Amino acid sequence: MRWCPSLMLFGFLAAVNALSSSGNRLLVVLEDAAEKGLYSTLWGDLEARGYNLIFDSPKNEQLSLFELGDRAYDHVLVLPPKSKGFGPSLSPKNLVDFINSDGNVLLALSGKSTTPSAISSLLLEFDIHLPTDRSSIAVDHFNYDTISASEKHDVLVLERPDKLRPDTKDFFGGEGVLAIPSASPHTLGDTSLLAPILRASTTAYSYNPKEDAGSVEDVFATGSQLALVSALQARNSARFTLLGSVESLQDKWFSATVKTPGGKEVKTANQEFAKQLTAWTFKETGVLNVGKIEHHLAKDDLTVEDLNPTIYRVKNETVFSIEISEYAYDKYIPFEVPANDALQLEFTMLSPFHRLNLTPVKQTENSTIFGTQFTVPDQHGIFSFRVNYKRPFLTNIEEKHEVTVRHYAHNEYPRSWKISGGWVWIAGLWSVIGGFLAFVVVWLYSAPTSAEGQRKQTQ
Amino acid sequence: MAPKRAANAPSAPSSSTSATASTTTLSSGPKALSANSSVSDIAIHVWQQYLTTTPQRTLLLDAFMAFLVLVGGVQFAYCVSAGNYPFNAFLSGFCAAVGQFVLTASLRMQTSSTEGSSGKSSGSKAGKVVSRGESGKEAEGPSHERAFADYIFGSLILHFFCINFIN
Repeated sequence: MRWCPSLMLFGFLAAVNALSSSGNRLLVVLEDAAEKGLYSTLWGDLEARGYNLIFDSPKNEQLSLFELGDRAYDHVLVLPPKSKGFGPSLSPKNLVDFINSDGNVLLALSGKSTTPSAISSLLLEFDIHLPTDRSSIAVDHFNYDTISASEKHDVLVLERPDKLRPDTKDFFGGEGVLAIPSASPHTLGDTSLLAPILRASTTAYSYNPKEDAGSVEDVFATGSQLALVSALQARNSARFTLLGSVESLQDKWFSATVKTPGGKEVKTANQEFAKQLTAWTFKETGVLNVGKIEHHLAKDDLTVEDLNPTIYRVKNETVFSIEISEYAYDKYIPFEVPANDALQLEFTMLSPFHRLNLTPVKQTENSTIFGTQFTVPDQHGIFSFRVNYKRPFLTNIEEKHEVTVRHYAHNEYPRSWKISGGWVWIAGLWSVIGGFLAFVVVWLYSAPTSAEGQRKQTQ
Repeated sequence: MAPKRAANAPSAPSSSTSATASTTTLSSGPKALSANSSVSDIAIHVWQQYLTTTPQRTLLLDAFMAFLVLVGGVQFAYCVSAGNYPFNAFLSGFCAAVGQFVLTASLRMQTSSTEGSSGKSSGSKAGKVVSRGESGKEAEGPSHERAFADYIFGSLILHFFCINFIN
């Protein structure tokens, strides 16, 4: 049981790091310290979940995301700046480096202030596009809050988001509505790493309040093209979330009551959504962890030496199993593959010879063991067991375990009499041999006449 | 009609000579054929002639070769009808029959000529064959014992190979 120490280590790390699966040092970049009070409920929530909040101003010369070449923080929450930009320590390059070294970033924008061009260029690296004027807001004349924005229609009231696709997990759903005030909308490119979390409703459009009414003629984007909250999960599973409306995190909107035109007055679910959003971004949810991986021949009496052999023979019956757990807020739980989706095993040499669905065979307290059984293909060479599971909102699983597949040894073929189809030919061979022996015996007994006759003849 | 007559013309003296030979040497031999016997009569006569004039060893060789043809034919028919799945078994069984046939045929070639001559020793035509055979035997041809030893040696190699090949 070699995975016991690693589980214990995990438990130990979890105890040290409290909640998030990847550390608890959270840098909050906040330009105006006076604004800190506006978000007190959010800070309280985060601290209650075990984060160590470090507030800093982007103008601080000492601020750096890295210390001695290593990450100084595990997560960064960036609030929109009042001034033109963030300064050298939060340049796009630094933020990308931070993500490349497994740091998570939650970037909040606001429609009330113009987004700095540095942020715009950072988002372009991720294929997220802001309106060219960088100060547009999302407006909706049908789904707005009549209490707070009866004139401007810039407080969008939206349902909590549903699943992105039928085959993905739902990390942001729930009851209630969200109030998204003065949101800075964006559109998404075609990258598979990007996934929208919250889109505007079909009647929304992008509008720049600083320009004339004529600018409505050529809008940046409309309807559900406009994403308000989006997520990017890099190839190293680091997470970057863009929140279009920083105001939706304020205490005021956590407990606000909103009313759509013709609707009823309801309380917003912003607090719950903010919890889900920060939890996902800072890797409290949707984190998959691979435990032990085992493969062996399909037989009953297995010893430790039989596990994970380095060599198989063609046509062996082989069993493969992988243990996967999912982190949910404060503990590992058994991972369940979403309906309509499948966790697959590939047995590949250059291209997959087998691609098989892995089915849950066993469930432990905090993990599920998925397994399958298959016959090694009739082809020798260097193969690998591969599990490649990359889904939106779930950290990537890419496992590769190489094994050698050899051909039959000469004494592993079945003997001739084991194959009943060959019995006729075996009988034929032995009847030839038997006939030969009988012939030889009869020949030797029938010798004399001719020899005597010949001898007589010669005499 | 012309070819038939042409065929009949030389056959008549030869049959008479063989008839005289058989009557002189073998008192129990078949009766002579007339010039216009039926086909079945000719066949029966040839068969009787073969049975009576062929030495015992050659008869034995022929019987063994017929047995080999039968075994090989059965194996081939089975391969055609039931498929060749353990192909090595088919190859081995069939080639054993064929190879044994070839070896037996060569043994017959090495032993039957002189034996046939000794069987028809008193015939004038056969007498020539005897003298030629005896002179050839002393000059180059192997003795029957030597031929039989070669035959056994070759057969054992064949059997060894086939048994190993059939696994």
